[in-house]
Amino acid sequence: MARRLPAFLNTTAFRVTLLSAALLALSSLVILTFVYFASVGASLRRTDATVEEEIAVIENRVRNGGIDAVNRYILQRSVGGSDFLYLLVHPTGRRVSGNLSGLPEQEADEEGRLEFSYRRPPAGEEESEKDERLARGRLAPLPGGYAVFVGLDVEDEDRLVGGLLRAVLAASALALALGIASGIFISRRFARRLDAINSVARHVRAGDLRQRTPRTMTGDELDELSANFNAMLDRIEELMHRMKNVGDSIAHDLRSPLTRMRNRLDEALRDEGTDREATVAQAISDADELLRVFNAILSISRLESGDRRQKLEAIDPQAIAEDLAELYDPVCEDAGISFSSEIAEGCHIEGERDLVSQAIANLLDNAVKYTPAGGAIALRLRCRANGEVEFSVTDTGPGIPGADRIRVIQRFVRLDNSRSKPGSGLGLSLVKAIAEYHGARLELDDGPGTGPHGPGLRAALVFPAPN
Amino acid sequence: MRILIIEDDREAAGYIRKGLRESGHVVDHAADGEEALEMARASEYDILVVDRMLPKLDGLTVIETLRTENDRTPALILSALGEVDHRVEGLKAGGDDYLVKPYAFAELLARVEALARRRDPETVKTKLVVGDMEMDLLARTVVRGGEEIILQPREFRLLEFLMKHAGQVVTRTMLLEKVWDYHFDPQTNVIDVHISRLRSKIDKPFDQPILHTVRGAGYRLQA
Repeated sequence: MARRLPAFLNTTAFRVTLLSAALLALSSLVILTFVYFASVGASLRRTDATVEEEIAVIENRVRNGGIDAVNRYILQRSVGGSDFLYLLVHPTGRRVSGNLSGLPEQEADEEGRLEFSYRRPPAGEEESEKDERLARGRLAPLPGGYAVFVGLDVEDEDRLVGGLLRAVLAASALALALGIASGIFISRRFARRLDAINSVARHVRAGDLRQRTPRTMTGDELDELSANFNAMLDRIEELMHRMKNVGDSIAHDLRSPLTRMRNRLDEALRDEGTDREATVAQAISDADELLRVFNAILSISRLESGDRRQKLEAIDPQAIAEDLAELYDPVCEDAGISFSSEIAEGCHIEGERDLVSQAIANLLDNAVKYTPAGGAIALRLRCRANGEVEFSVTDTGPGIPGADRIRVIQRFVRLDNSRSKPGSGLGLSLVKAIAEYHGARLELDDGPGTGPHGPGLRAALVFPAPN
Repeated sequence: MRILIIEDDREAAGYIRKGLRESGHVVDHAADGEEALEMARASEYDILVVDRMLPKLDGLTVIETLRTENDRTPALILSALGEVDHRVEGLKAGGDDYLVKPYAFAELLARVEALARRRDPETVKTKLVVGDMEMDLLARTVVRGGEEIILQPREFRLLEFLMKHAGQVVTRTMLLEKVWDYHFDPQTNVIDVHISRLRSKIDKPFDQPILHTVRGAGYRLQA
């Protein structure tokens, strides 16, 4: 059944709106019903009070002048076009006088009140109104077995009340109808916006990753959903792009050394004259290099997947920097580069010592690789005033042009002029992955200034203040 | 030495076994965790080489079980899982060393021999002697041929490690791990640089070199 309803009826928005409309209708029904009974009650009490006053007048007349006086009074009032309805009843039940032709055979309620339809006698009223009208009053006993009925015409009140009742029902029905109408309207709007999101999802599933959901910029929850959805798509697109990039780069960076290795081995197999031992040793070192690249790819993936298995621990950046300075000082000296370090005391960070050391070792490796002999490398550790801790490696090499700085952090990207140097092209992306794993950031800037080889490079790892 | 290889990959096991036999060791092989436990209980081994992922009973459980049975046979864990916390897990379970796959055979051999040496109670000494070189672990002094050699603290630790493993091949990775406590692989030849520094202090002034480079593997200190 539900499937054959128009689509917008089968939406959450429609159901919610309909439900609230129904609740609105119900509550207006309850409220108006209460108002109805309250106002009807007030009107009846007023009628009864007026009737009682008139009965008191008649009883007074009986005491002073007997039944005859009452009869005279009633005759006089009946002729005089009074609002009251009278009927003086003889002990035998016969009508004596009054402007009513008789009383219906009807039991009075516990207060002796009667409510009945009557035809207004011709006297004083237009013939045209032949409708039965509603009377309400009380039959009061009089001395000598007589009784007098005094009542009032309540037809107008009754009509008013009936109208009120109809208004109550109509208002409730209207509320319900309006609710349904606005439900349809809202759910259509809602459905349109959700359709847009669904349609994007379908496109993305089909492989078109560039699709984005339209934003209304209203900041409502659907807009927020769109924004999150888009952010998710951005991330997926980035990952897909990166994966494709990695695929391409693996093809590029791994295929050629593999091919080289294969060719060398092949040659050694066929040609007796080659130095087989040297070939095998070369092949092993090629394989080791390839394994290093694979390991780096794996490490980056693990770090990026972000499953931080254990909480980061407080570690001592000073010790890390001092150990690395000690490790790299002789390396620089051998390469004809002057090395200096400037290590602040008393900084604190949270992290994994081995990973942080690895990241800075990578920066130092790069600096050594790209700084020509005669240059200088400086390792610094600074505690910033805001609690951030900065490791930086500055060199006097060629530096990285501003436009390339973002690119160079991506996997496998090696600037053209560095292709001749050994390395996987993964160093900086590994540093970046380690930084992100620690909530730290990698900053690349110009180094100390224009030297003979370029502006130099300043690579900094900035760790957040520990919690 | 009697070595038990616990490895389910037959080819990998064959590769290790052949290499270790060629180096003069007696090698047995278990292909799963349960078989490994039975074999380790049945006879005395000097070293266990344990793959971490095994059918039936994983490598760490095998080692843990043996340790609760008071079997202290040194165990070298082989694993494709190389993160620091994997290592920590392995050592907590009772492993004595941890080698990440893939590895060079020379690396495995060096570590196996280093582990076997560790069992030797003689290693708890205050004085290490290799040829005419003497290291006093308490006074932190090194004397070769009657001359005192002044070393930086790290150079001292490097030499101490080499002397403790005198006669054995020590790989660059082992030095990085044991002397510097780094479990990553710097791209530049940092270890070579430090070794050559040390060499210039302990070998250069003397006729007979004792710190040798072993091609394709690492270094060996031998008089």
